[in-house]
Amino acid sequence: MVTVELYGVPRLRAGASRVEVPAGTLASILHALASALPGLVPDIVHDGRLTEHALVAIDGREMIADPELPIADGSVLVLLSAAAGG
Amino acid sequence: MRGNFGRILLVELRGDRVAVEHVPLPEAVYQAFVGGVGLGAYLLWRFAPAGVDPLAPEAPLVYAFSPLLGTPLTTTAKFAVLCKSPLTGRISDGLSSSRFALAAKRLGVDAIVVRGALDRLSWLHLDEDPAACRAEPCPAWAGLSAHELSDMATKQGLFRHVSAIGPAGERQVRYATISNDGRHAGRGGAGAVLGAKRVKAISVRGAAVAGVADAASVQARARDLAARSAGAATEKYRALGTAANLETFDRLRILPRRNFQTVSIGQAAARRLAPEGLARAAEHVRDSCAGCTIGCDHRYGGTRIEYETQFALGPLIDVDDPARLIAAAGACDALGLDTISAGGTLAFAMECAERGLVDWPLRFGDDVLPWLGAIARREGAGDLLAEGTRRLAAVIGQGSERFACHVKGLELPGYEPRAMQTFALGLCVASRGADHNRSGAYQADLQVGVDRYRADVARAPARVIESEDNAALLDSLILCKFLRGAIREPWREGAELLTMVTGLSRGEDDLRRSARRIAAVRHAFNVREGWTLAEDRLPDRFHDEALEDGASLSRADVVAMVDAYHAARGHVPQGGPSERLRRELELDAWLTDAPPLQGPASLG
Ligand code: SF4
Repeated sequence: MVTVELYGVPRLRAGASRVEVPAGTLASILHALASALPGLVPDIVHDGRLTEHALVAIDGREMIADPELPIADGSVLVLLSAAAGG
Repeated sequence: MRGNFGRILLVELRGDRVAVEHVPLPEAVYQAFVGGVGLGAYLLWRFAPAGVDPLAPEAPLVYAFSPLLGTPLTTTAKFAVLCKSPLTGRISDGLSSSRFALAAKRLGVDAIVVRGALDRLSWLHLDEDPAACRAEPCPAWAGLSAHELSDMATKQGLFRHVSAIGPAGERQVRYATISNDGRHAGRGGAGAVLGAKRVKAISVRGAAVAGVADAASVQARARDLAARSAGAATEKYRALGTAANLETFDRLRILPRRNFQTVSIGQAAARRLAPEGLARAAEHVRDSCAGCTIGCDHRYGGTRIEYETQFALGPLIDVDDPARLIAAAGACDALGLDTISAGGTLAFAMECAERGLVDWPLRFGDDVLPWLGAIARREGAGDLLAEGTRRLAAVIGQGSERFACHVKGLELPGYEPRAMQTFALGLCVASRGADHNRSGAYQADLQVGVDRYRADVARAPARVIESEDNAALLDSLILCKFLRGAIREPWREGAELLTMVTGLSRGEDDLRRSARRIAAVRHAFNVREGWTLAEDRLPDRFHDEALEDGASLSRADVVAMVDAYHAARGHVPQGGPSERLRRELELDAWLTDAPPLQGPASLG
């Protein structure tokens, strides 16, 4: 399984701060996420892709976007708002 | 030309007298520098005598307005405040929002330049009618917060919109703010400059209207922008405010803690300080600047808490109690202290105390309220802390300089440079010192395809330059940066907005040249005031100490990135524009050493 942690607007929209989904490609994970947390659709996740309003970091480090990227079992994805300004 | 008045107000103070004069500005100035921080940088260059002491009477303080100010376009009720910073000795260009901005432009001028000093603490009234401008001594107002002063003056019917300093400005604390309707021109100590002129408050009265060239188009674009500002791109600011960053940044391990010793406060503490935690500690209401359809202003117990304040008065000084953080932020507002510099200086002092370099009763996690009061009133050790981190380190010595977290004397904002290495470059080269506003290079580090743990000498300079130029555009128009997610093509849209407001035809390329020219004038100002390449550096801590997760930042890489940045900007090694850049941006016409634009003769 892959753990997805949600922060900022994604958490607000989803009403959850953490969810587990089956490992697979980034696209399959985002599809699973959209089914589990429909509040993320369409502004955060749309058609198995992240929108411009959100970012996802693997293990809290590298931002990823390639839908075909395989995400290994046990990984943690951090889903956050794209607007970083403070 | 509409949207501007084509003139500025030059205010000379001496003794108990005020003289004012309208000084015309050619249209070419507006074409070259747009308005806001761009116009202000040009005026600062022209009016500040080279090498001036920032707190001397002859040092100018510039309020610069913008062509969009006063139009129905959302988030435009803003102005820029510029001076030579008493904290850094370099350019300081802050932005503030408020009804004061709208009221001040109705004086019928595009900027106010204040020079000289009064002999007693006074209230300066500026009026559309020059004969009505005056200074009135106000010794009874000494020690009042800007908010108290504004309330009292409104009740007494003295004035409605005021730009004022708190006790810290009166005592010339080097990071004192100027407050306007509860918003602050914060970084760099403009409040100390006003305090040195013994001006407690500036009130304004006027009814002039600059108008717009194409009212129908402006109205239509205002509706369109307002609709875009209500979309998903700005939802974070509306729903949560920038305070939502703290928990995210903790997770990304970019949240500076304990004077930049570590990068996480742990999930439980982060949740306590996150918006939900703050709302449990104090009543939460949302507000906005005048004329803004976003409304990012989240107040807790009446105090506005945004990310930088939350970071600087929370993790940076190791406070994880939301009530304590809110109280400290409220105290900074009332005293007129920049929260980042106050938190940064306290964090440095705490580390010095914990290392036994000073014997002050000050430890990480302490309640800082008594210290904030002492700083603002320059009492006891507070007098030293009022000088900021760099000067404090020079006094304490004993190797403390290596963990004195500033660039050019300005304390760092809340992003860890070892884990954000494009931003590390942005911090080094920013004209006003460690800065996250005139450059937003942290955004580059949070993009897909950027390895934020690596100093990318080949690509980072261009990313930083693009970020600085984008900021120069928005800060000169002036549009709030929190709108940027709703503006897909800022150069095109900026050119369209300027054309419809001013009637002067503007194109994307010509606006890009303006942004580069603004950067060149800021840099030239710093070079004139003594800048050397050696100051475009981070403190030793960031190179000599790796983070717990192994992240480290090579000194050699930073030097290489800084060199590449200046080369890409077209600067010569000793500072200043190359011949080619001078020609390209017609800088010789602007960076003239001709005497400053003339001022009132009436003070002699
Ligand atoms: S988004 Fe926030 S800072 Fe910007 S104008 Fe609106 S309330 Fe002010």
